[in-house]
Amino acid sequence: MDRAFKALLERTLGTSLEGPVRQRQDQTEIRIRPGDVPQVMRTLHDEPDLRFEYLADLAGVDTGTTFQVVYHLWSEVTPDWLRIIADGIPREEPRVPSLTFLWKGAEWMEREAYDMFGLVFEGNRDLRRIYLPDDFGSFPLRKDFHLADDAAKSPGGGVRPMERATAPADADATTLRRTSPGT
Amino acid sequence: MTAVTGYWNRLSVPSKVLLVAIPTLVVLGAVATVALAILVPPLVDFLAANEDLVRFLLAATIIIVITIPTAFVIIYLELKVIARMNLRVGPDRVGPWGTAQSLAHGFKFLSKEDFTPRGVDVPIFTLAPVAVFLATIMGLLVIPFAPGLVAQDLNIALLYFFAMGGLSVVGLMMAGWASFNKYSLIGALRAAAQAISYEIPLTLSVVGVVILAGTMSLNTIVEQQAGSFLDWNVWKQPLGLLIFFIAATAEANRTPLDMTEADQEIVAGFATEYSGMRYGFFFFAEYVNVFVISALTVVLFFGGWNAPFDWPFPVQVTLDPASLGIGLLFLVAVVPVLGTILLALPFWLLSSRISTLQALAIGFVLFNLLAVGALLGWAFISFDWVVGLLWMMLKSYVFVFVFVQMRATFPRVRVDQLMGFAWKWLLPAALLNIFVTAIAVSLVANG
Amino acid sequence: MTTPTRPSLDDPSLAIPVEHAGIFDPIPVARTERQREFYALKDGELLLNIGPQHPSTHGVLRMIVKINGEQVVDLDPVLGYLHRGVEKLCENADYHQVISQVDPLEYISSLFTEWGAVLSFEKLLDVEVPRRAEYIRVLSAELNRVASHMLYLGWMALDLGGITPILWSFAERDEITEILGALTGQKLLFNYFRIGGVNGDLNHEFMSRLGDWMSRVGAQLEAGMGLLNENEIFVRRARGIGVIDRETALRMCVSGPNLRASGVPFDIRRAHPYSVYPELDFDIPTRQEGDSLARYLLRMDEVKQSLRIIDQCLHRMPDGPVSAKLPRLLRPRPGRAFSAVEAPRGLYSTYVVSDGTDQPFRMRIHDPSFVHLQLVPLLMPGNLIPDTMVIVAGLDPIMGGVDK
Repeated sequence: MDRAFKALLERTLGTSLEGPVRQRQDQTEIRIRPGDVPQVMRTLHDEPDLRFEYLADLAGVDTGTTFQVVYHLWSEVTPDWLRIIADGIPREEPRVPSLTFLWKGAEWMEREAYDMFGLVFEGNRDLRRIYLPDDFGSFPLRKDFHLADDAAKSPGGGVRPMERATAPADADATTLRRTSPGT
Repeated sequence: MTAVTGYWNRLSVPSKVLLVAIPTLVVLGAVATVALAILVPPLVDFLAANEDLVRFLLAATIIIVITIPTAFVIIYLELKVIARMNLRVGPDRVGPWGTAQSLAHGFKFLSKEDFTPRGVDVPIFTLAPVAVFLATIMGLLVIPFAPGLVAQDLNIALLYFFAMGGLSVVGLMMAGWASFNKYSLIGALRAAAQAISYEIPLTLSVVGVVILAGTMSLNTIVEQQAGSFLDWNVWKQPLGLLIFFIAATAEANRTPLDMTEADQEIVAGFATEYSGMRYGFFFFAEYVNVFVISALTVVLFFGGWNAPFDWPFPVQVTLDPASLGIGLLFLVAVVPVLGTILLALPFWLLSSRISTLQALAIGFVLFNLLAVGALLGWAFISFDWVVGLLWMMLKSYVFVFVFVQMRATFPRVRVDQLMGFAWKWLLPAALLNIFVTAIAVSLVANG
Repeated sequence: MTTPTRPSLDDPSLAIPVEHAGIFDPIPVARTERQREFYALKDGELLLNIGPQHPSTHGVLRMIVKINGEQVVDLDPVLGYLHRGVEKLCENADYHQVISQVDPLEYISSLFTEWGAVLSFEKLLDVEVPRRAEYIRVLSAELNRVASHMLYLGWMALDLGGITPILWSFAERDEITEILGALTGQKLLFNYFRIGGVNGDLNHEFMSRLGDWMSRVGAQLEAGMGLLNENEIFVRRARGIGVIDRETALRMCVSGPNLRASGVPFDIRRAHPYSVYPELDFDIPTRQEGDSLARYLLRMDEVKQSLRIIDQCLHRMPDGPVSAKLPRLLRPRPGRAFSAVEAPRGLYSTYVVSDGTDQPFRMRIHDPSFVHLQLVPLLMPGNLIPDTMVIVAGLDPIMGGVDK
């Protein structure tokens, strides 16, 4: 937990931060708006006393109500991992600016987030599915994903018990209830 | 009619077989005797008149028949030797110490489904394995295995040999193109490029030997290396040997120069679409090729069928079995039995676990081994060609072992490095070799 | 919802369309900018499919290669043949079950995948791991690292055509799996780490096998590496192929030995230490050339460092319990935790979001091989087809981790 680092972040990023800088054990966490991602990342990367040159992870998260994109960065200036949560991405229009302008290696991580969540990264030159077939209809890691959606179209659809639609009638995406069949 | 069918139905199966077979055989025998009586005398006259043709046909048949067991032996050798180098055991289930593994491979190839993929050019696809196999066998026709044991003693034998090597390239290209498969095409193009690149240093490297021998006839080249091992060409043409060996490795598509069949990259290269016996042809042709170039190396540089040193044969065993008369019959009847009993006796006496029958069996096997050994020894002493053949085989298999060891040890050379090596290093070296040899020969001749 | 009817094999809609039943494989519809660039074929270019079933694509990796003669102009990897939906499965498993779910990700070095998961959970739960457990974790993980690098050695040589080194290195690997089998009960997917410690203490068989192996390993490794390190053919094929410089490596989020071979001495064990690594004495080998040969030699150096660590662990092993006491039903506070370990392939990290129930709300796994495969389209243009194997093998991807 690096207190000096927290102060440094608040000083440098200031208005971009949504909410306080949280710290726990060896991680420091900040929240930003999705539209601010390019500018904040550029600041973190280029500032001489921040120098976050290493992108460790780019993840999508479905909180049930909104999407988040979570980035983890590392720099020599602080012993903590920096977590940046781009929060509040709406479900019906999940668009986020891409990070490929800074780290080309984020291209496939964003492809995976698109594949699993449907998050559209604007500026990614190659936004197509990476794990699933190109004609797969739904996005598996969303909380409102039902396996039967795509299984019904496949030749084996509806044959195995798990693929029969088991979603309860009152399921909706606003609750945090896990809606995968079989549990 | 019903009486006949009734009688027939009441017979047992062996009786039925005999009842049909015996009259048929009698009739066939009569017909055969008459035919032979009419046809054989003119045939024998014809053959006697064209003795060369007979000799050639016989030699070619023997060569074709010998290639399969040779391939089997080399395949087995490769599997076992590479296994040992890999800290493994190798095949040891099929047959004693796995010796029948090659037979199993042969049966496997024969029993596979023989299909032609859709879209291939059928005549070329079918003829490609034949072309490759033929090229290898034709090369074997001029190799002298022993004094007097050469299928055809051409006086342009070396040139003929390299020409036949070129035929195998045609076969590979046929295979690759006709397969209608991108991998095969790439494999075929690599094969053609590699073979053409390495043919030039190959032919140039032996020009030195030709200069020294004054002839391209392989038989003469071997005869000129008679004497002791100091007379072999390897001391006079070390660079030639090196270039020849490397170029021959490339021609035979052996590791480290086996880009053609780099199965880590292009599956099986030109042979991707082949299966069953068609692939078996390629497979066996490769191993026969290994034997052929080993034999050629030995012939050109290591004295062929000459022994490394002359050992005098103090024993001249002249056997004349006919002089024994009736004693021969006794010999043939008594010696095996006596030999079996004598050799079985120690085992029977000294171990209580071995029954009489087992001891006799062991004795019989041992007697056979001894008899064969004695016969071979007598042949070795009495016949020149046996000695020559033995030395030739021994030396050839030393080089086969070298090829196998290279396959176990080396990774593969990349295709552009392979070609660069041929054109930039081997070709100038071969030219240098010719130059130096020519100068040396003219100096020795003049001074 | 109506019950879907059972489809029949005579269903005409399931038949392959006639135009695709032929012998030409259709070029897919190019949807993205990169795909348009890739599928635009110039004169003389050919699309070759180094398909998922191939003698040397390190698992089920499909690469569509655009070649001009022997030279590769462009390359497009296609993934997903081993995708098992592990992240979704983890959301349905409780925290203890997740450990066996993440094992088959990097199946060659599965202790590291477990370690990543377990480390995040321990941060969520504020669990302190006993020192003996930490030492055992480091010991077994470093053994796993050596085994993984032995596989790498063999596989790299095999992809280049040398059939002997893989068998020699697998002899080493066999011994290590026997050792770890004596400790964990498993030979590949160990399922050994637990939240708060490990599953069982060291036993006599493990110690005797390990001691026996440690006394022999030096000479055996020298023999095995000696086959390749000075082999002219191998060196000439690997030197100068696939050079990654420092800036490219950082931009492409490369980690682990691939990064250290390009001159960046970044090792999580020293940069962001976890477990008892601060107490252990070992070096971080780094090389400057950044080519495939450097990556290979660097991993061999790492094996030697791992042996040093194993030795120190054996000597400094403290007494005590091997696992912290935890309830069977784990309900961490709602929150988030991130942890990263230095896997043999690079930075392996996990990000866990907990919502207060006994199953993770989101379990995000970041695998290094996934990121490294992006390097292949970057490095390949201009090289020849055989170099594809050198580059892919040199980066050491494991498709289980790539495809999750």
